[in-house]
Amino acid sequence: MSTLLDIKNLNVQFDTDEGRIVAVENISLSVKAGEVLGVVGESGSGKSVTAKSIMQLNPGNTHYNEDAEIIIDGENTLKFTSKEDLKKIRGGKVSMIFQEPMASFAPAIKIGAQMVEQLLLHKPIDKKEAKSISVDMLKRVGIADAEKRFNQYAFELSGGMRQRAMIAMALSTMPKLLLADEPTTALDVTIQAQVINLIKDIIKEYQMGVMFITHDLGVIAQTADNVAVMYLGAIVEKGPVREIIKNPKHPYTRGLLKALPDINNLDAPLQPIPGSIPSPLERPTGCVFRTRCPHPTQEGKEGRINMGLIEVSPGHWVDRCGVNCG
Amino acid sequence: MEVSSAKKEAYFTATQMQLVRTRFFGNRTAMIAGSILLFMIVCSLFADFLSPYDPTIAGRDKEYENGAPQIPMFWDKNGFSPRPFLHTLTKYRGADTNFRWVYKIDDDKRRYVYFFVKGWEYKSLDFKINLPGKKFDFQFPGFTSDRHLFGTKEGGIHLFGTDKAGKDLFSRTLSAIYISLAVGTLGVFISFVLSLIIGGISGYYGGWIDSLLQMFTDAIRTVPPIPLFMCLAAFAPQEWSSELRFFFISCLLGLISWPTLARRVRTHLLSERSQEYILAAQMSGASSAHIIGRHLLPSFTSYIIVDLVISFPYMLLSETALSFIGLGLREPVNSLGVLLQNATKADVLLNYQWYFIPVFFLVVLILSFVFVGDGLRDAADPHKNK
Amino acid sequence: MINFIQFTVTRAFLSIVTLLIVCFIVFSLMELVPGTCAERYLAFKNTQGSQITFEDIAAEEKRLGLDKPFLYRYTKWVSDIVIKQDFGDSCILRISINELLSGRFVLSLTIAITALLFSYAIAIPVGIISATTKYASLDNALKFISYLGIALPNFLVALCIMLFMTVYYGDTMTGLFSQEYENAPWSTAKVQDFLSRAWLPIFVLGWNATAFALQTVRALMLDENDKLYVMAARARGVSGMSLLWRYPAKHSLGPVINSIGFDLNRIFSALPVVALILILTEAGALLIEALARSNDQQLAGAIIFLLTATIVFVNFVTDIILAIMDPRIRKGVMGGS
Repeated sequence: MSTLLDIKNLNVQFDTDEGRIVAVENISLSVKAGEVLGVVGESGSGKSVTAKSIMQLNPGNTHYNEDAEIIIDGENTLKFTSKEDLKKIRGGKVSMIFQEPMASFAPAIKIGAQMVEQLLLHKPIDKKEAKSISVDMLKRVGIADAEKRFNQYAFELSGGMRQRAMIAMALSTMPKLLLADEPTTALDVTIQAQVINLIKDIIKEYQMGVMFITHDLGVIAQTADNVAVMYLGAIVEKGPVREIIKNPKHPYTRGLLKALPDINNLDAPLQPIPGSIPSPLERPTGCVFRTRCPHPTQEGKEGRINMGLIEVSPGHWVDRCGVNCG
Repeated sequence: MEVSSAKKEAYFTATQMQLVRTRFFGNRTAMIAGSILLFMIVCSLFADFLSPYDPTIAGRDKEYENGAPQIPMFWDKNGFSPRPFLHTLTKYRGADTNFRWVYKIDDDKRRYVYFFVKGWEYKSLDFKINLPGKKFDFQFPGFTSDRHLFGTKEGGIHLFGTDKAGKDLFSRTLSAIYISLAVGTLGVFISFVLSLIIGGISGYYGGWIDSLLQMFTDAIRTVPPIPLFMCLAAFAPQEWSSELRFFFISCLLGLISWPTLARRVRTHLLSERSQEYILAAQMSGASSAHIIGRHLLPSFTSYIIVDLVISFPYMLLSETALSFIGLGLREPVNSLGVLLQNATKADVLLNYQWYFIPVFFLVVLILSFVFVGDGLRDAADPHKNK
Repeated sequence: MINFIQFTVTRAFLSIVTLLIVCFIVFSLMELVPGTCAERYLAFKNTQGSQITFEDIAAEEKRLGLDKPFLYRYTKWVSDIVIKQDFGDSCILRISINELLSGRFVLSLTIAITALLFSYAIAIPVGIISATTKYASLDNALKFISYLGIALPNFLVALCIMLFMTVYYGDTMTGLFSQEYENAPWSTAKVQDFLSRAWLPIFVLGWNATAFALQTVRALMLDENDKLYVMAARARGVSGMSLLWRYPAKHSLGPVINSIGFDLNRIFSALPVVALILILTEAGALLIEALARSNDQQLAGAIIFLLTATIVFVNFVTDIILAIMDPRIRKGVMGGS
């Protein structure tokens, strides 16, 4: 299985009125063909920023570090500046779907027109062929009456259908990598299940890679092969999904799992992680989780341990500070 | 960079007013405009003290009609003087000037400028309200004074020049700013009260009352305001005194601008009315008056203040336009519009360009209001993008 | 299709009701002037030396039908306008108002609408540039210019231009026509003369409107640019001009069209004073004449009515255009498929 995406040592910082803030620190991730990588974390953990960095969609005040690499198909996309190069990764080799399908379709342009526009930008085909590919894709994602829907506007479709249409549009150019930024968060649970199954089918059929960003561990458990847990811009634990859920080593991962309701004991009180996530302006030095760690070591609490991932078992990496405390 | 916890504490417990104030103070343009505005307002309130001459016809300088501005100097060929002075002018007419009156400068004779001089008498804080019917007359005797900030012992000091009759333009400009601001304030106040009532009823009760009032309001808004204003202003009979005209024009200003304001009030009310906290209050048995007073009004006070400040420049402009045509305020009550009346004549344009100085003040006044209004709006609604 | 007709008819009905309310207000204003038409005309004649008696006044009143009740006269006035397009006679000047106004009102309309078009032609591209440029200094400069445009009222700009022209060129560029063409019948030469002079009032009137429209367009574009669908489009590879026009610009168009009526209202409002300063012979200046000098309320009422009616009509048309353009309204109105 080939590696579709390889992020190495990514640091992202933003220039704001309050100073330079760190959004993402030293991230390394990879996605192989046919595989789903789940990226889990609260809001502010840097998940979306990472995804947007792949497509260079971050705003103008963003700084990437010099030695960071995002390798797609052998090229470092962080170095892309020309329009043609950027087009390759935007909608061509990489597609992105978003949390709010209503908001991601332009309200006053027909769905079909937007799909055709994307196809024409990336493939050397004519309008007729683009339309037939689009309609096929709409059928493939399970939208009945695809021909009719092709000529409709986003507000005429129901929530679940819109999400499917967005997936159809993202996949129509046959990208190698799909970035899914909280695609199920805004959906009802039943629709969630349908969309997740759809994504799983598509991956198998087209041998794509998916980076599935969410804050919902439950969805990850069902969908992902590998998972990376992020907190305040750093990866605190990553590895195969079963392994992480069975043997979580980092206190944050443990806290996330413990916070889920226990199906065997529905009356038990929920156990949230104490404290709240600091603002990016006050990113703790050393281990970023030390302000909320339940049993920190003395060194860890004072922030004298620098972050870095250690492999505790094959494929299972944990931040060195989190390994020791517990 | 660690933000101290005391600051954080302050941020999270600040009231809405304090937040607005902080955001506003951070906006440099708005602060500069605000200070300029404040300065002009204070100057206008002390207009009489600052003016060396009476702005009405009583203070005219017969020796110096249509005179150019005189700027005090510290230096001339005879050396430096810490006390500013002016050169004397003599009126001269002869064949070499085509028999037009011209002023010759005698640069050897100095006239010094003194401060806190005695000059014409004026009253401060003197209110005399003369409403129809003797019962409503109200008089508040203020105090009289005759001190002015600066003046000369002989001859005139006309910083902005004089007009055809010899009236000092500097003094007139100061009092004009005061009158324009006063008319505007009164107009805004009347408009505010009217729009609160009508917009309030419309927004709070909704339903057919709302539809009816809205049709009425929209119909008035469709009529171009200044022509309507002119039409209404033409009603004032010639016999009315200047003071009465003053109140009349202010009322008209208020009457014409309430539709826009009322619509804003109604919009705010309609969106707030459906909020859950109102429902909660209603369910706990609060009366309508209580809900309106304690909950609804405070929620959009900041927006209303912004609307009021923003509508001020339009009041100023409308009054200026009206007075400019002659349908607004009249002598001896002079506003910036009245001052501009003479500025369109050809010989004024050619020879007496200083008549245009009040234009500059009008523009500055309006610009400051606009910037302050915008600053307030940004401060009250930070979700607006930069 | 039925729904669309229904929609149009409802809108038309609302417009007519608005117009009737305005009619009522205008007519009442005309009636509230102290002294009836007859008295004022005869008072005017009085100043010219003729002797008037009470019988003369009564006779005049009867002739003009002024002894009939308010409601009757109101209905007559409205129906005269609607059916015969006749505004009656001017009180003071004793000429048919239609004759007085027709040519002049067309001129006013031409100047106003040209100014409006001119303002949008500038404001839309400049507003888009201002909102999307990467150079903050350009954006700030444009913002500042637009503030100036808003704060400097039209008549002040007219005054300053007059001052400038007179001091440096001697000749005042006032008036819509030069001497020879003043009363001549229309010909291509007259049109050319008109154009060579009309640019000044058009510029002065459009100045203010451009500034407002610029701020509106800029704010709308900034709002739309932040929305998710624009980023989603960029994520699909759309870029450059086509991104700009198809996405945020197209979606900002609606509110701009909505504001056409209001912008025209502002231009009409500024027209009389500007016309006075620049000595233009059109309806706006005539309005001031009627109000300030001759106290001729009939004439004034007719002018105000015409101006408002134009705006009501423009609002009606823009409502219909919006309904057609915005697919959400269109589908709701014409029935979704």
